[in-house]
Amino acid sequence: MIQEIIEKKVLLVEDDIFSSMMMEKGLQKAGYKCLVARSAEEAFTILKNEMPDIILSDYEMPDMNGFDLRKQLIKDPRLKNIPFVFLTANTDEEMMLKGLKLNAIDYIIKGTSFPVIISKLDNVLEVVRNQHELSVQELKKAAEAINIKSIPANAPETKGFHIDFWHRPYEDYPGGDFIDFIKINEDCTFVILGDVMGKKWKAWFFTFGYLSYIRSVTRFLVLNKEFSTAKILKKINELICLDEALADIFSSLSLLMIDSKNSVVLYSGAGDLPLAYYNAETKEFKKIQAQGLLLGLKYNADYDEQTISMHNGDQLMLFSDGLIDFIKENDKQSDYDLFFSNIHSLAGNKNSFQNIKTKIISGTGNNVQADDASIIFIQKNQACY
Amino acid sequence: MLLTTTKEKDLLVVTLTTKEASLKNSEEFKTAMSQFLEEGHKKIVVDFRDVNYVDSSFLGALVSSLKLAMANHAEMFLSNLNKDVYNLLQLIRIDKVFTIYKDNEEALKQSQN
Repeated sequence: MIQEIIEKKVLLVEDDIFSSMMMEKGLQKAGYKCLVARSAEEAFTILKNEMPDIILSDYEMPDMNGFDLRKQLIKDPRLKNIPFVFLTANTDEEMMLKGLKLNAIDYIIKGTSFPVIISKLDNVLEVVRNQHELSVQELKKAAEAINIKSIPANAPETKGFHIDFWHRPYEDYPGGDFIDFIKINEDCTFVILGDVMGKKWKAWFFTFGYLSYIRSVTRFLVLNKEFSTAKILKKINELICLDEALADIFSSLSLLMIDSKNSVVLYSGAGDLPLAYYNAETKEFKKIQAQGLLLGLKYNADYDEQTISMHNGDQLMLFSDGLIDFIKENDKQSDYDLFFSNIHSLAGNKNSFQNIKTKIISGTGNNVQADDASIIFIQKNQACY
Repeated sequence: MLLTTTKEKDLLVVTLTTKEASLKNSEEFKTAMSQFLEEGHKKIVVDFRDVNYVDSSFLGALVSSLKLAMANHAEMFLSNLNKDVYNLLQLIRIDKVFTIYKDNEEALKQSQN
């Protein structure tokens, strides 16, 4: 696994070339990545592509001064929360107060020694980090308290089949992947793997809207003796398209129905990655691709349904897109075929699931995690009728 | 800067100037597209010539912009997709909802018909 090195990034806004060079050198020496803007306008250009951890800005600059820069930043929801520290030669208290009212975190008087400047910046970042962690903990606690889970604790016992799953959130935040198992009776279990587009909290929040529809539609249609995954998926999509709160939110979904009595799996997919299927008799390892569109995209979309006969030792694997990103020639790229060929040799033995998991976790497949990653593994065992 | 624009007849060419189209720039892209639609552009091609990688946040922004374009009776096309990006779009069937052109010339030619 390629680990991204976490570095502290500071945007230094300073029109004086000599001061900015000195400051840049000192910051770099203290381990900061330093972005330098010679004017407020240049700072905005940099901020279009960069998100520094902190901004250190001179007050006295031609055209737009530090105060005006701060005022503009506050107006931008993306930039307003970046900690902002004024750098000034002026020790006028009234001016300092004016800056602090603009939510500037601190002032640094020019000429302050480097160790003091670095300590101040480090302290600000430490406080921000701690606050952020606290908020995340609070949200996690609240979610646990009301018992909302987008990932179940265990896989269900299913007659004649073994089911397992693995999930790893992106950067340890709950995200858009969701897994669910709906056990209808001894012979029938629905398996669900979805991925709400987006990352972290926003995507995670919408997984519950999606899961509620999926659970209720599946239960309702099954009550009416409808077990077709295609028909269930079509109905889920229709309801989601009608829900204005989800108008801008899209999700992939793999929906499987395990029929233990007939040893078959029904499969329909909405914008999902192909399943991997291992046939124990022929030793063939192949992709099974659905044709359906992402949920939420088109009201009257139709979904196809495939019937997969499962014999002893056959395996089915479902994946979310966080598994298929790789670093190639220094650039991040998505490559499902490469992922598929990486796991090919691991299919078809009794430790397949463990081995695939180990390979992904250890990063020996050269994959880089850029999103939530999930696998559901289904194996046909000796039927016990 | 995430994108640059040029106008070829009635076709607005929106060229993405980033290697990674991701969560980092998906909101900016969506805002820009909605602005172009608000300004009244009816034919927009998004040029992916520099893009190596697209994540699910950006795909969501693309699809959401397409829906907005349709609601505004406008057309939105994609062009110059590299092999990996095109394969991903195909894999998750987004290629079925977008008109994808080899390059902007083809987009211009076809969109005039």
